[in-house]
Amino acid sequence: MSQAPLGRACAAVLRRDLTLAWRRRGDIAMPVLYALIVTTLFPFALGPENALLQRIAGGAVLVTVLLAMLLALDGMFRSDIEDGSLEQLVLAPQPLALMLGMKILAHWLTTALPLIVIAPMLASMLQLPSTVIPVLLLALALATPMLSLLGAVLVALTAGTRRSGMLLALMLLPLCVPVVIFAAGALAAAQQGLPWIAPIAWLGAALALALVLAPLGCAAALRIALDA
Amino acid sequence: MSSWIPLWLHKLGSPPTFYRFAGKLRPWMLALAIVLGMIALYGGLVLAPPDYQQGDDYRIIFVHVPSAWMGLFIYGVMAVSAFIALVWRIKLAEVVAMESAPIGAAFTLITLVTGSLWGVRMWGTWWTWDARLTSELVLLFLYLGVIGLYHAFEDRRQGARAAAFLALIGIINVPIVHFSVNWWNTLHQGSTVRLFGPSTMSGSMIWPLLTMMVATKCYYAFSLCSRVRADLLALESGKDWVRQIAAEESAR
Repeated sequence: MSQAPLGRACAAVLRRDLTLAWRRRGDIAMPVLYALIVTTLFPFALGPENALLQRIAGGAVLVTVLLAMLLALDGMFRSDIEDGSLEQLVLAPQPLALMLGMKILAHWLTTALPLIVIAPMLASMLQLPSTVIPVLLLALALATPMLSLLGAVLVALTAGTRRSGMLLALMLLPLCVPVVIFAAGALAAAQQGLPWIAPIAWLGAALALALVLAPLGCAAALRIALDA
Repeated sequence: MSSWIPLWLHKLGSPPTFYRFAGKLRPWMLALAIVLGMIALYGGLVLAPPDYQQGDDYRIIFVHVPSAWMGLFIYGVMAVSAFIALVWRIKLAEVVAMESAPIGAAFTLITLVTGSLWGVRMWGTWWTWDARLTSELVLLFLYLGVIGLYHAFEDRRQGARAAAFLALIGIINVPIVHFSVNWWNTLHQGSTVRLFGPSTMSGSMIWPLLTMMVATKCYYAFSLCSRVRADLLALESGKDWVRQIAAEESAR
């Protein structure tokens, strides 16, 4: 059996997932729409005072993006499990961790990237000062891949179960506490005019770690869940 | 002489041997837990003097602190047996890990409840987003996640392996949560009982605390033995030794 070179196999997995996502463009819009709706609800619930909204804007946008990602996380491997292509991927000669890394990348590109694009708009809806928005984007650019990677491990663990939506949220919460704390810490520091580089650096370090370990963990979890 | 210990441990890994061993250990552990618990409660509630600042309110410490220790200790036991279960695929280790989780969750819940009862008297609030409280809450969620994942699978052994993996991810996460939360906010007092160096607590208060700690450990051993026995019977229900036990039980 001749093996496809690693680079080409990676590109093929990535292209396949992106094509599948593009064919169902409506699904990409769902998390964005969800984030928009949640953000709209904040002023109704808290009152439209600018000072109050300004104070909570950073954290509210972070949590909204996180919830929107959680919504999409559930479906990361579902269709692949249903049609059996995930098992083919497990059996493929290429390292499973790398292939899953590509799938996670495709998932991040289709769910988190639109959310990052729309984040400045959400933030300005809540009156976040425009000087803080670059920090928000930086924090999101580091925090969302973290969530995708950590979430992928948990989704892989629940791959063999029927009901996983609520369970996924319960399992993800402890993992995303540090991410939210550091991202929100950077935003709060930037809003007060303090140096914000330290929490961002922590997030970056955590992302570097997760980038290496999470695909391996995801592969191990998937092997357990599929009992391969 | 020294070779019988590994051999004995090896044998203990087999379900029928462990079933009999746990059956013998169980009543002793329960008796020890009750006696030591009584002594500790008498020492803590009657003999120990009231605190100069908190009066009698501090006495909840004799439940609160041992439960908090047990919450962490049981997570450690669960993670170690989860590791053993994943690496060497020992059935007993899976059962021990999965049956530890509800006990640990219960101790963590007791810690949170007694802590908030203490908090309402001392701090004037049931709950505050303090570092210790938040990481304890996260610990509870970790336990609940493990329990939930275990029960979400139809195949119990597969569920046990998946939940064991989650428990291992959790133990990497525990120090990260602990330190990140520590940076974020803090009100809870520091540790007063030290393993190394002198404790900053009076001896008349510390001995009931340590006795209670041993009592909770014994209770955990008792509870774990009972749960593991029941679970082993269910898991091995088709095997000969279970049939034998069933026959003996019905003959009585």
